[in-house]
Amino acid sequence: MPDWVEPVARYMFEVGLRGTLKIAAIAVVGSTLVGVVLGTLITIRFWPSRWLIRLYIEVWRGLPIIVTIFAVFFLLPTLGSQLDFDPFTSAAIGLTLWGSAQVAEATRGAVASIPHEQHEAASALGFGWVGRHTYVILPQALRRLIPPLVGLLIGVIQNSTLALVIGARELLSTAQQSVDRLTAPPAFGGIGEIHAIELYGAVAVVFFLICFPLSRLARFLEQRLVV
Amino acid sequence: MTLAFTYDLGSYVAENWEFLLKGLERTLLVSAIAIVGAFVIGAVLGAARAHHIPVLSQLAGVYVEIFRNTPILVQIFFLYYALPQVGIKLDAATVAWLSVMVWGGAYNTENFRAGFEAVAARFREAASALGFGKLATFLNVTLPIGGRIALPSSINTYIAVLKNTALLYPIAYEELTTSALQINALTLETWETFTVLGVVYLTLVWSLSAAIRLVEGRLALPETR
Repeated sequence: MPDWVEPVARYMFEVGLRGTLKIAAIAVVGSTLVGVVLGTLITIRFWPSRWLIRLYIEVWRGLPIIVTIFAVFFLLPTLGSQLDFDPFTSAAIGLTLWGSAQVAEATRGAVASIPHEQHEAASALGFGWVGRHTYVILPQALRRLIPPLVGLLIGVIQNSTLALVIGARELLSTAQQSVDRLTAPPAFGGIGEIHAIELYGAVAVVFFLICFPLSRLARFLEQRLVV
Repeated sequence: MTLAFTYDLGSYVAENWEFLLKGLERTLLVSAIAIVGAFVIGAVLGAARAHHIPVLSQLAGVYVEIFRNTPILVQIFFLYYALPQVGIKLDAATVAWLSVMVWGGAYNTENFRAGFEAVAARFREAASALGFGKLATFLNVTLPIGGRIALPSSINTYIAVLKNTALLYPIAYEELTTSALQINALTLETWETFTVLGVVYLTLVWSLSAAIRLVEGRLALPETR
């Protein structure tokens, strides 16, 4: 193996892949928490809250995620210095806005699919709205929510590459840096060779190895649900 | 850094509308080419998948899995930055429509496969009883019925194709997002920039979503209406 491979691979895995997985993990957890709460609240028949949550869902689902990430990165700091997030956090927030809209819509459907009797039985047992949803409705709705959540995980992992545009370090951006560095002449710390096919190809392979099993899992869970 | 906070959408649009419109034109043009291409790819390869046409079906399967399981931004980078290494130099405009088209085609192949597979076998049996050949059966029975079943999901893919044109920003193809951010870099009118981006994208996406609902009602199969 040529000399350049080892340090580049180390950099792309230790910095790049770790960054990708970290952004994805934050965004998935954030999206799930915000999305489940909003998706449950939208089932309440009170038009102002319904309308606001519907607007939230349609806006963040409708915008290209790259625009959302740019907006978080460029707009929030103008509102106050405490909202001046680094690229990494901004990307995670942008992905969370998009992801939570997806989860909210899925949760709404899942909660609505639970029959009336379950609500009535829980009320008869003395549960209030919060207890009824926490202990009776959501646990049942969760079964329907798992396939879309796996789908969300795939979407978030793939879209974490968009963090590149605001300068966060994730797998694709570390590949880009490595390609640029290797291309530079030896006097500038490079080796004067182009290795774009190998490095971008490697990035594609890594994403495929992560996403392909997950997409099979999502399909399997969906089919199991149908039966 | 303290900048006086001013918001003047009117003068922003008045000063930049030509440049923004040029960007919007490119966004729409690239989307239109990619959507037509994705429709053709989806219908042809979806049929190959649904009817298990040897070799073509397997190749289509590999194509679908590769493009659905890697990020589209990686695909764009590969086309634009990696291919020149082996002598294939594509300009940004070519990568623009090609990348979103191939991506959309992969998703659409699945949409159409599911649609064609959902066509009841009795329809095809009826066609062959009437003396239709395989191709005639597909064109007259499977395509019109399965195409309608696949329509809502394929329009969702077209909406995603439109939104994905914004990902051409890193290769500096001057579609709407790239154009708007270039203006922003010069003028720092950030709120105005994102107001325009938000309004334009949401108008486009919401109109297409509304079209889905309209089309779903109009093209619903008589049996399900």
